[in-house]
Amino acid sequence: MDATHLPEVTAAGVIIKAVLILAVIAAIAGFGTYIERKILAFMQRRYGPQHVGPYGLLQLVADGIKLFTKEDIIPQHANKIIFAVAPVITAATAFIALAAVPVFPDFTIPFIDVYVPSIASDINIGILFVLGMMAAGLYGPLLAGMAQANKWGIIGSARTAIQFLSYEVVTGLSILAPIMMVGSLSFVDFNDYQADGTWLVVYQPVAFILFLIAGFAETNRTPFDLLEHEAEIISGYVTEYSGMRWGLFFIGEYANMITIGVIASVVFLGGYNDFWIFPGWLMIIGKIAFSFFFMLWVRAAWPHVRPDQLMWLCWKVLMPLAVVNVVITGIVIMLVQ
Amino acid sequence: MYEFVAFYIFAIATTILFLITVMSKNVLYSMTSLAAGMVLISGLFFLLGADFLGVVQLIVYVGAVMALYSFAMMFFDATKDVKEKHGNSTLVFLLGGLMALVFVVMFSAPIIGENIQALYPVGLAENLGVSGNAQDVGLVLFTKYLVPFEVAALMLLVAMIAGIILAGKKMDYSLTECEASDEELQKEIKKEEA
Amino acid sequence: MSLEQFKNRNVGTQNYKTLDLDHTPVTGMGQFKQVVSRTFKPELFVGLWVTFREMINALFRGKMHTTQYPFEKLPISPRYRAIHDMLRLLESGHYRCIGCGLCEKICISNCITMDTQYDENQRKEVSEYTINFGRCIFCGYCAEVCPELAIVHGPRYETASEQRASFSLFEDMLTPIDQLNLQQEYQGFGAISPNADENIKKTPLAY
Ligand code: SF4
Ligand code: SF4
Repeated sequence: MDATHLPEVTAAGVIIKAVLILAVIAAIAGFGTYIERKILAFMQRRYGPQHVGPYGLLQLVADGIKLFTKEDIIPQHANKIIFAVAPVITAATAFIALAAVPVFPDFTIPFIDVYVPSIASDINIGILFVLGMMAAGLYGPLLAGMAQANKWGIIGSARTAIQFLSYEVVTGLSILAPIMMVGSLSFVDFNDYQADGTWLVVYQPVAFILFLIAGFAETNRTPFDLLEHEAEIISGYVTEYSGMRWGLFFIGEYANMITIGVIASVVFLGGYNDFWIFPGWLMIIGKIAFSFFFMLWVRAAWPHVRPDQLMWLCWKVLMPLAVVNVVITGIVIMLVQ
Repeated sequence: MYEFVAFYIFAIATTILFLITVMSKNVLYSMTSLAAGMVLISGLFFLLGADFLGVVQLIVYVGAVMALYSFAMMFFDATKDVKEKHGNSTLVFLLGGLMALVFVVMFSAPIIGENIQALYPVGLAENLGVSGNAQDVGLVLFTKYLVPFEVAALMLLVAMIAGIILAGKKMDYSLTECEASDEELQKEIKKEEA
Repeated sequence: MSLEQFKNRNVGTQNYKTLDLDHTPVTGMGQFKQVVSRTFKPELFVGLWVTFREMINALFRGKMHTTQYPFEKLPISPRYRAIHDMLRLLESGHYRCIGCGLCEKICISNCITMDTQYDENQRKEVSEYTINFGRCIFCGYCAEVCPELAIVHGPRYETASEQRASFSLFEDMLTPIDQLNLQQEYQGFGAISPNADENIKKTPLAY
C-alpha cells in the first residue's frame, strides 16, 4: 500500500489498537502459561492440566484466582518500596515495548469507519525503542533480586546484570545488519521491504540465528534461564515473591516472549505481508505462534548452560560472528550500489 | 499545551529523582532513582522531536546504570544504609554550591540573552531527500563532528583493550576444566604474575 | 600419608572404566576446531527431533505415559507391603490366627496389641487384635513370622482417612466372610507382579 493513500490515523484508531494490544497480549500472556504446560507435557508424554474446565482450559482462571488471593508477603529485611515496585517495572515495560510493535496489519472497522493502524505508535525508530524498553525491563529482575535481602536473590540479580548486558550487545549487533539493508529503523519499513515475498532471513541467516539466541537469553528462557535456575539458586530473583507480584513477573516474561516473536517475524520472516493465499494477519499470527512454540520446544529439548559457558558463548562466539556479519553486509551493500 | 505540561512533569520528576540520588543513603534508592531519572530524560528528548537520541539515551544509560548496580552489589549491602564520612562539610557545601551556580549561569546566560539557536536543527537531512532522526544524527556526526567522533571511538577502543588486559590476566586457566589441585593452580598463577 | 593415599584409603581394588571422553584441547587451533564441531554438529537438532517425535507419539499414536491415577490404577506387586490383611481358613471360614502372639512379639515398633482368651471349647481365641498404624513401619516381620499365614500384607495402599482406626481393628483387616472366595493367598517372596511382562521394555537409549 502506498504511503500517501493511507487514511488518516485518528485518536480513536490508536486507542482501539492500544486496547486491542493490551487485551489480546495480556490474555495471551496468561494463556501462554497454559500452552507452555500443555506442550511441555505432551513432549514428555504427559497430559498437562486437564481437570479444570474442558481440556484444562480454565486452569488459567484457577491460577489467576490463586495468585490474586494469595498473601502478598514482603520479607522483613527487604527494601519494601523497591521490592514492591520491581515486578511492576517488568510488566509495564513489556507492554510499553509492545506499543511500538506491529501486531496485526492495519484495517478499517467497517461500519463506524475507524482506521486502526498496524502499530499503536509508529515512531520511526521503532526497533531501537522496543529493544530499549526491553532493556529497561531488566531492571525488574535486577531490583527484585537486590531488594529482597536474600543471597539467592542477589545471585539472581548479579546474573541478570551480566547476562543481559552481554546479550544486549549481540541483539543490537545482529539486528544491525538487517537495519543496514533496509535503511530504516521503522517496523513498517521492514515489513514493506519484504513485500515482494523474499524474507530477510534469506539474506541474513546468521543474523537471524544470532538474534534468536540472544532473544532466548533476553527473555530468560531455557537454555539461558540462569536468573531463576531452580537447581542452582532456588528461584533466583523471584525467591521471595508470592502472589500477584510473582505473577506480574511472569506476565512480563510471556509478553516479552511475544515481543521477541513479533520482532523475529517482522524483521526476518516477512512480517504481515500476504503470502500465497494466506492473508497477512493469519501469516503474522502463524509466525508469532510458531516462534512461541519454538521457545517451548527448545525448553523441552535442551539443557541449561552454565553461567561461564553463557558468557563464553556471548563474547567469544556470538559477538565476533555478529561483527563479521555486519562488516560483510556493509561490504556487499557497498559493492552492489 | 501538551508539550508544555509534559515538559514540566518530566523536568520536575527528573530533578526530584536526581535529588534522591544525591541525598539518599541507601544504595538501592539512589541507583534506582538515577536509572529512573535517566529514563525520564529520554522523555525530554522525545518531546524535542529527537526520537533517536531519546532511545539512545534510554539504551545507553540503562546499560550504564546497570553496570553501576553491579558495583553496588559488590561493595554494599543493598538493604542497609551506607554510613558516610563527612570531613569538612562546610567546604563541600561551598564548593558544590559554587559549581552548581557556575553551571546555572553558564546555561542560563544564552537563554536570557535569547540568542540560543540550533546549529543543526531536527530535520536537517530532509534537504538531501532523506528524512528521519537517525539520518540527521548521522549527517552531523560524519561531517561537522567527524574528528571528535573518531577520537571518541579511538578512546573507547583504548579503554576496551586496557579493560581486557586488566581483567584477562588469569583468563588462560579454565578453572572448571583444570585438573590440577588448588595449590598448584595458585602457584602457577603466582609464577605468572611475578 | 600423602593426599593421593588419603583419598584412596579404604577403597577396594578399583576397576572403574574411564569413559573415553575428548580431552580439553590446549592449542588455539584445537579449541577452535572444538567450537566449530560443537556448533555445527546436529546433536542439538537431534534433541529437538526427539522431543517432537515424542509429542507426536503421545498425541496421535496413543503413547501417553500418564496413568490417570484415581481413575485408573496399575496392578501392584504381590510383595507390596501395605495395610495388613487377616486371612480366613477356606474350608471353615474361621480366622486363621491361632493367637500364638509371635507377631506381637516380633513387631519392632511395638504396634500390634493382642489379647487372647479361652473360648467355650477351651480353645484359644483372639479377643483383641489391633495394629497401631501410626507406628507401623510396614517392615513385614509380622507377616513373615506368622506360622499360619494368618497375617499378610494386603494391597490396600490408599490409607488416607479421618481415622486411622478405620483400618486397624481385627474385623477391618479380616477377609469379609462373604468374600471368602475372593481371598488372595500370599504368593510368597520372589513373586512377580501380575503385569511384569508388559513392564519389560527395551532400554530406550538409541535415537
Ligand atoms: S509390619 Fe512390622 S511394624 Fe508393622 S505391625 Fe508388622 S511387624 Fe509391626
Ligand atoms: S503370628 Fe499369626 S497366628 Fe500368631 S498371633 Fe500373629 S497373626 Fe495370629
